[in-house]
Amino acid sequence: MTDKSAETEQLAKVWENPGGWRTLSDVNNSVVGLWYFAAAFAFMLFGGALALIIRMQLFVPESTLVTSEFYSQVFTLHGTVMMFLFAVPIFEAVAILILPGMLGARDLPFPRLSAFGFWCYLIGGVFVCGSIFFNSAPDAGWFMYPPLSTEQSGIGADIWLLGLSFIEVASIAAAVELIVGVLKCRAPGMHINLTPLYGWYVLVVGGMILFAFPPLIAGDILFELERLLDWPFFDVTRGGDPILWQHLFWIFGHPEVYIIFLPAIALLAMIVPTFAQREITGYSWIVLSALGTGFLSFGLWVHHMFTTGLPSVSLGFFSAASEAVAIPTGIQIFAFIATVMLGTVVRSVPMLFCLGALAIFIIGGLTGVMVAVAPFDFQVHDSYFIVAHLHYTLIGGMLFPVMAGVYYYYPLVMGKQLSRKLGIWAFWLMMIGFNTAFLPMHLTGMLGMPRRVYTYGAERGWTELNMISSVGAFIFAAGFLLLVWDCVRPKKDQPQVKRNVWNAGTLEWAARFGDSWGMRSIPRINSRYPLWDDKDLLRKIDEGEGLLADAKEGRRETLVTSVLDAQPIQVLRVGGPGWLPMIAAIGLGMVFIFMTFKWWLLTALGGVVFLVAVLRWLWTGTAEIPEKQTKDIGGGERLPLYVSGYKSTGWWAMFITMTGDLTAFLALLFGYFFFWTIHPNFPPEGVDGPGWFWPMVAGLLVLLTWGLTLGARIINGKGQSGMAQLLLGASLVATIASGFALAAGPWTTGLDPTTNSYPAIVWCLVLWVLGHLIAGFIMQAYGLARLVYRKATPTHDADLWNIALYWHFTAFSGVLTALVIGGFPYLT
Amino acid sequence: MGKGRWWLGILRCGALLATVPLLSACVSEQSMLHPAGEDAAAVANLFWVMAAGTVVIWLIVMGITVYAVLGKERPKTERFADRFILIGGVAFPSITLAALLIFGLALLPDWVRTEGADLRVHVTAEQYWWRIAYELPDGSVVQSANELHLPVGQTAEFVLNSTDVIHSFWIPNLGGKIDVIPGRTNLWRLKPTEPGVFRGVCAEFCGPSHALMAFPVVVHEPADFAAFLEGEATPVDAPPNHDLFIASGCGACHAVRGTSAGGAVGPDLTHFASRRTMAAGTLPITAENLASWLLDPKHIKPDVRMPGYDSLPDAERAALVSYLLDLQ
Amino acid sequence: MSEQDHVTKEVRRETGSGTDLWSVIISPTIWALHFLACYVAAAIYCEKLGRDAPLGDIRTLVIVVTVLALGGIFWSSIRLWRVHDRSLTDDDFEYEHNTPEERHRFLSHVALMLCVLSAVAVIYVTIPMLYLETCR
Repeated sequence: MTDKSAETEQLAKVWENPGGWRTLSDVNNSVVGLWYFAAAFAFMLFGGALALIIRMQLFVPESTLVTSEFYSQVFTLHGTVMMFLFAVPIFEAVAILILPGMLGARDLPFPRLSAFGFWCYLIGGVFVCGSIFFNSAPDAGWFMYPPLSTEQSGIGADIWLLGLSFIEVASIAAAVELIVGVLKCRAPGMHINLTPLYGWYVLVVGGMILFAFPPLIAGDILFELERLLDWPFFDVTRGGDPILWQHLFWIFGHPEVYIIFLPAIALLAMIVPTFAQREITGYSWIVLSALGTGFLSFGLWVHHMFTTGLPSVSLGFFSAASEAVAIPTGIQIFAFIATVMLGTVVRSVPMLFCLGALAIFIIGGLTGVMVAVAPFDFQVHDSYFIVAHLHYTLIGGMLFPVMAGVYYYYPLVMGKQLSRKLGIWAFWLMMIGFNTAFLPMHLTGMLGMPRRVYTYGAERGWTELNMISSVGAFIFAAGFLLLVWDCVRPKKDQPQVKRNVWNAGTLEWAARFGDSWGMRSIPRINSRYPLWDDKDLLRKIDEGEGLLADAKEGRRETLVTSVLDAQPIQVLRVGGPGWLPMIAAIGLGMVFIFMTFKWWLLTALGGVVFLVAVLRWLWTGTAEIPEKQTKDIGGGERLPLYVSGYKSTGWWAMFITMTGDLTAFLALLFGYFFFWTIHPNFPPEGVDGPGWFWPMVAGLLVLLTWGLTLGARIINGKGQSGMAQLLLGASLVATIASGFALAAGPWTTGLDPTTNSYPAIVWCLVLWVLGHLIAGFIMQAYGLARLVYRKATPTHDADLWNIALYWHFTAFSGVLTALVIGGFPYLT
Repeated sequence: MGKGRWWLGILRCGALLATVPLLSACVSEQSMLHPAGEDAAAVANLFWVMAAGTVVIWLIVMGITVYAVLGKERPKTERFADRFILIGGVAFPSITLAALLIFGLALLPDWVRTEGADLRVHVTAEQYWWRIAYELPDGSVVQSANELHLPVGQTAEFVLNSTDVIHSFWIPNLGGKIDVIPGRTNLWRLKPTEPGVFRGVCAEFCGPSHALMAFPVVVHEPADFAAFLEGEATPVDAPPNHDLFIASGCGACHAVRGTSAGGAVGPDLTHFASRRTMAAGTLPITAENLASWLLDPKHIKPDVRMPGYDSLPDAERAALVSYLLDLQ
Repeated sequence: MSEQDHVTKEVRRETGSGTDLWSVIISPTIWALHFLACYVAAAIYCEKLGRDAPLGDIRTLVIVVTVLALGGIFWSSIRLWRVHDRSLTDDDFEYEHNTPEERHRFLSHVALMLCVLSAVAVIYVTIPMLYLETCR
């Protein structure tokens, strides 16, 4: 079998991780995933330390341990770090780390995008966390309600906004990557109904991120425009309204809770079958409840705003949806219990954490049902009862499952076992500590303690309860530290674990420790638990009898399959190590960070770095024309190396990104109609809108440039590359003209965005579209250059497809903006 | 994990729950578990029903889980599992939650159907104190601050505004809370059912002194309330040291009705010394507390708007303290 | 299995006389639209007409939208009911997992149960309308 061993050697060489300082240029999912995970855990420890400061301060009444100002920073940062820097990224980390193995892919479809996301996350996270050492951390609570945050906060508010906007970029990048991964990169034969449940959850959560994060980005834009340029979106003296922020924040914030919860519960869906030693019961029940939760979670946001004085009717709708979401959540739990019931349980540390998660989460879920009843929430809202409730859901629904996942996947990733004895100790310390800390808080809240108080009087009668909570918090922390110690302690003299140490049934356990290429060859899959059902599978994989067993051309490759039935359709060449993702992230980081300090020159410099890095990355590393059209993947199948249009992963990535982008635009448009709803006169008396003429011209020009771009793609596809170049050239002119026409409306009518919320929101919509026109202009120029340099041809036109797709969305937002700002004032 | 440990966990929870009456017997002036108002009573009842349901459901689900993990005999068919999920996960919650929804939402305020309020009180939340104005039947108002008086058995309607950031108005013993939002006027109704002294607080984080923004709530018999209101409406004669009060600039921010001090920036001080607390529920009114407040208010209440008067000679501060204590 | 049968099955798989991911999310999407319609209509109505405005018109609207939504979900259920190899339960154990029929069976179970869930959620959302009389 010498040709087989040569193949193995070649694969190893192609997938070799760079060493030394070049390690940082790595993009492979097994490395980036681990970095991601380590960073998320480091942030978690930081957030935990902040929590202990809170508990120390509240240990005794009238404590003077920290000042009120510092305490505000501590609890704001605690919430921010745990939500944005731990809970969401840990999902991305785990998914990047194990999802490709689970699906039988060699890597995710866009490894450089993962690396870019990771660097964004790390830079942004360090920036946000570091602020507290300069006494300038955000200090208005993790949901940053204006006007406190807009009018009275220092630079902390900007750090929060820009730092987190930057991290949201990472989340959306991960969502794009993971959705395409689950839909298009499954092993051949892994029908949609054989996909591991983790994959389903990732798909649902990825979709939720696309619709949940953009409204927050829209909110951030309004917020930062107010802070930076004094556009009064939330200033009531000039027609703004702080409630708009609350809507945008919680349209993001409530789905986010489920974005955190679902991927963690997904780990249970992988762990429970392994330790029940049988396949999951109610597979389709779990899938449907994940989908149902994903949808319903978007109808809950106002339950964070029950006490803002909205009409009872609105409260009723949201109360109802908040109750309804309990149903799919319950289904998942019952499916897990049923699986355990039918199987024979292997007692192990991961299973212990699963059961602990269940015990804690059910309490959180039941108190959630309680607070969903609006009249009850009137009492407990913003009290320690809510603090208890949210920690029960997050720690039972996220932290404990993740701990179970750590114990479960540690041998797969690190090759060594964690200590069973320490694990049991850690579990009981955490379990007892957690309940000691948080169970009494329900009572503390009902005895009237509001959240976010830095002190309380001894005569309030909360002293004993707070002392118990503080002691519990430290026990909890001890348990957690024990676990961290177990993870990082040297294990040199410990034997390396055998392959598939838990005797699991899913594909990720087919990997051998130390192979960065995933699997030696990609098998055909016939069941949900291939390792249990096909005893010969490991041999077939290892001996290279599966597909894509070689890397003759010296390129990293993975299979792309069809969405429903996973028929192989393409060999995708994925990116290898390189510095560009990191440089792009640094450039973007400069933009966000220097903007905080209003250092405009450096901000612009960062923008240039980012743009150059991204363009170079695209030019040299994407939509390459392969040296041959098809490749033999073994088993007598030949697959194309290049596809374009909706067959390609790149097109789907663009589609998914633009869906998120459109959501952000719609969130801004919501702002426009929100102001119209709350003001009797909108536009306000004496203020004329931008008129109908220029917006109409702009709308038509946007349609023209869209048509030219689309035409270029179609005509190029017919073989007339020269004509396509001409059309693209014309579209560049039309794009510039449409930009000027759009700005001309509010400009010529003298709308001043600092005077009132109306001109501000009009200008904001115009700016949004202008930004997209600029990006679209760069893309059209890029497409033209690709054609001129023969990087894109009539048969290899993926670039043009993606650019045209971008323009579908941009034309839609452009025309809609023109209609709304130009036409709507005439309707009212 | 052994079975015993699970039961230990359950026992621990039970023990904690058993301490509820014990602990709550201690301090009840800011507790939703000691209702003294119509809404609070309804919500407290709702709470006890839901809490009991929560405990029962938790025990049942965890019982099944423990049985599933440890039980020797177990159903072997998937069909059973499917029915288990259908009944436990779909049927039972759908019905229970619908019932809870109907029962719970009946408590939503629907004030237009109820009769008009007996009393209107204008409450303005400011960093970090409460401006309170009682509306008399003739439409005129009686200014006060940081202490709320209500007649028992009558419905009070609160008209809530904020001048700076978002606050939240919460008197746990009487009923739920309502946010006080700049630019918006929120209405809220409470109907005390028992006389007594309670405590209201700001529940929405509003800045560094959010923790120190409270107010005593005194619920009187209607006759006593009428007497209080009459007293509160009466202007005072300027006590000694009034000139010092004016000369030090106090009158620019504070009003003492009946005197030349007519400021409207800070709390009305007309009957200051008859109140139960100073600095919005932060400290009892004593000469000592007043002295240290005048010296450096920010030391007591971070970020408070009032400047310190450490530049005044000690004797003048002492005179101001005695002036304030005379404002009965 | 005759050649003809085999071809029919292949065709069925490719043309989707079964069901796909889009039809799975029809019913929750209907729920979302229903929810949004109710909320937006009520919010605008209450803001523009004042808090003490009687809910008469808006109640009619919510009921109409609810009937439409339930009708849509019903239509989706009927459509799924006709799907070849559809399933009401998750009796996984009786089937092989790697056939297109199984995929149809799986997706139709998911979709049908999501219809049920969406219908329950739609009805829940309508409940508060039944006894509130003004915006308050």
